[in-house]
Amino acid sequence: MSDAPLAAAPKTAAEAPRQAERRGLAVEWLRQLALPAVLLVLLAGFGAADDRVLTGYNLLNIAQQASYLALFAMAQMVVILTRGFDLSLGPTVSMVSVAAALTMAGVGGTGGSLVPAVILGIIAGLALACACGVFNGVVVALLGVSPLVATLGSMNVAIGIATTISGGRPVQGVPAPFSEIFYSGSVFGISSAIVIACAVGLVLHLVLNRTVFGRSLYIIGTNPGAAAVAGVPVRRLLVAAYILCSALAGLGALMMTARTGSGEPNLGGTLSLQSIAAAVVGGTSLAGGRGGVVTAVLGALFITILSNGMNLTGVDGYVQMIVLGAIVILGVVIDRLSLEAR
Amino acid sequence: MPAEGSLPASPRPGEPLLVLAGVTKRFPGVLALDHVDLDVRAGELHVLFGENGAGKSTLINVIAGTFPPSGGSFRFGGEEIVDLTPNKARAIGISPVFQEFSLVPSLTVEENLFLGRETSSAGILDSGAMRRRARELIGELGFDLDPKARVDRLSRAHQQMAEIAKALLGNVRLLILDEPTASLTERETGRLFELIARLKSQGIGIIYVSHRMREIRALADRVTVLRDGRHIKTLDAATVTDAELVELMTGRRIDVLFPTITHRPGAVAVAVENLSTADNQVAGVDLVARAGEITGIAGLVGCGKSELVRAIYGIEPIAGGSVSIRGEAVAAPDPRSSLRRGVAYFPADRGAEGLALTRPIRENVSMTALDLARFQRRGVIRRGAERRIVGPIMETLKLRPPNIERAVRNLSGGNRQKVMLGRAMARDLDIFLFDEPSVGIDVGAKVEVYEFIKRLVEGGAAVIVVSSELPEVLALSNRLYVMHHGRIAALLEGEAMTEQNVLASFFQEETREKAA
Repeated sequence: MSDAPLAAAPKTAAEAPRQAERRGLAVEWLRQLALPAVLLVLLAGFGAADDRVLTGYNLLNIAQQASYLALFAMAQMVVILTRGFDLSLGPTVSMVSVAAALTMAGVGGTGGSLVPAVILGIIAGLALACACGVFNGVVVALLGVSPLVATLGSMNVAIGIATTISGGRPVQGVPAPFSEIFYSGSVFGISSAIVIACAVGLVLHLVLNRTVFGRSLYIIGTNPGAAAVAGVPVRRLLVAAYILCSALAGLGALMMTARTGSGEPNLGGTLSLQSIAAAVVGGTSLAGGRGGVVTAVLGALFITILSNGMNLTGVDGYVQMIVLGAIVILGVVIDRLSLEAR
Repeated sequence: MPAEGSLPASPRPGEPLLVLAGVTKRFPGVLALDHVDLDVRAGELHVLFGENGAGKSTLINVIAGTFPPSGGSFRFGGEEIVDLTPNKARAIGISPVFQEFSLVPSLTVEENLFLGRETSSAGILDSGAMRRRARELIGELGFDLDPKARVDRLSRAHQQMAEIAKALLGNVRLLILDEPTASLTERETGRLFELIARLKSQGIGIIYVSHRMREIRALADRVTVLRDGRHIKTLDAATVTDAELVELMTGRRIDVLFPTITHRPGAVAVAVENLSTADNQVAGVDLVARAGEITGIAGLVGCGKSELVRAIYGIEPIAGGSVSIRGEAVAAPDPRSSLRRGVAYFPADRGAEGLALTRPIRENVSMTALDLARFQRRGVIRRGAERRIVGPIMETLKLRPPNIERAVRNLSGGNRQKVMLGRAMARDLDIFLFDEPSVGIDVGAKVEVYEFIKRLVEGGAAVIVVSSELPEVLALSNRLYVMHHGRIAALLEGEAMTEQNVLASFFQEETREKAA
């Protein structure tokens, strides 16, 4: 406790709350600006270390890579807002990838028509993703199982399904138009992954900030008891949040499938943790009720720039894992400290 | 309390046990205590009186060693005390009981009592000795408390008893009690008062924080009034009047605490028949509440009165019986459908069930009404309309400052209750269920809450007030139900609504239950 005389010490305790509030706002602004500042410093630092980093080509490459992680971080953020999280996100991605590829290969087959194959593939993938969301949502919201246990369970189920239906091997036969839509296509020279991620981010931002659904998610995350007493349909909205999370993960899965050109049974790999990491590092609070599209996207950019820079400057892959792990813990610690400060 | 070790020498005769002079406590940007003087004599009960935010908690935290003062002198037992820590404070005999409990929920009562000062021999816990000592202490205190019970399975009242027992274990010279009766029943309160009298006769000094006039009347030797972090006055409790105390506390005159309410009972708004809840806290209750009157429900903590209104609103599952709203039977009420029927519930625990603290006032007010077309169109919030509706509501409720974009966590207790009341005006409602409407708010804010309830009733609404504060329900109600062990023990009206009759009906019910 510092006793240094404060320049603006208030005369009475009555003024104190407003001072504290102003200070709180200042801290909040610092928090908001800290990450973008760190991003710039990171880029400048890596740029100084290796002149391949700050080229237009590499920057577009970073944006392209970050758009996948940003999409998954947004998905994760939606459920983290409600005090939950989704460990099954990665395996859901694998499962959707395999299922969509199998559908497209089956319908399109040899000589089959490609357009219905692509449409059916997309529908099958997204429907399966939504089914995952319904499952998670029902187990968490209606059966009252903790998100950790519920999604740990569905994580294993999804891994099992993805491996079984694919026989553990990549599924070939993804039609070219599919890759065109989700990967190689571009709008005004910007690749479709970036376009899709930006569009989803914009819509999600509006949903969270302008709709009753979005507002209710924040209220549930901030105080579930108060939400219930205020007549907010907590359980129904929790199920909806998990469905939205899985659906966004499913969309990301289609994009990644288009990139690899095949259905991959372990496409999701470490995505569950990476997406949680990105959301939390960006400033989404695991305690619920705080965060948004901006925090998810910033977190995704941060992690992508860091790994891109470390790759280009030749940092060992295992050392990179250590760095990423430490950063996630740091993000959670900062979140805790800022919660305690209130 | 019988001390375990021998007490250090008493302070020099004439010097009080505790002497604070010019104590100042500054937090970054906040002057929480501004040159406060306080002295507590051995064997004296000294009440700290003041509104929320007056500095009472900061002061007792300084005395308990939770944080060091920024300035001033601190003498205890005739010695200058510096660098006090909570452990040191306990060692020299300063023992605090805070409102925020310090118990570990997953441990038993006796484990909590000895937490951090376990009796052991050769590193092995001597649980036999600890158990005996715990039983002895709880017996002496006269608490109805099982030492082997896990704390998280206890009611709040029992947790409070465990907390007090914990404070009294060991060598105590100055006991600090922060609103100790807030969750105790009348009987337990009686026990506590007897205990306090015994502690005083043993020469223990007591600092007692309370808003309740009745307790101050019953217990206090002297009263120190704090306001805005400053020492206003220390008075002799025997000669000061209630009005004087309130005036010193608020800095303004408050002539009448309870407004005169004109009840005009009309049609039956809520009818409950033979209602039982799933947890059996309510067991076969019949109750009627009419429009244009306040129906009071009095009873001890845990008698089921809160569960009754929660069941009517739909947050407590119903096991049997029926609820009708304006003559229409409601099978399984839930909050949303209740609000649509015009029924609102104001929870006792505004922290856990009322407010979303990090969200702005605007969102907290519109929260119960977001399903209405005036706030949304096809699921999209009409933010302009929201501001235009919530702004004037909070203006009517005299929110100061009138900025509805501030986060609720920055508001005082009284302003937080105003945000809750604002919800009552955000949609058309005419049945209001208030659960302990004045708990945790200071006198000035209480008056505003009562005035608000008066306006509702005189505007023709049906109001049910559940309260553990007898003076409050007696003054507000037109008819008063008394609950006991989940049943209605009596319905009092008119002249019959007296404190004696309420207490008598608890007693009769008790005897009847024993006879049965």
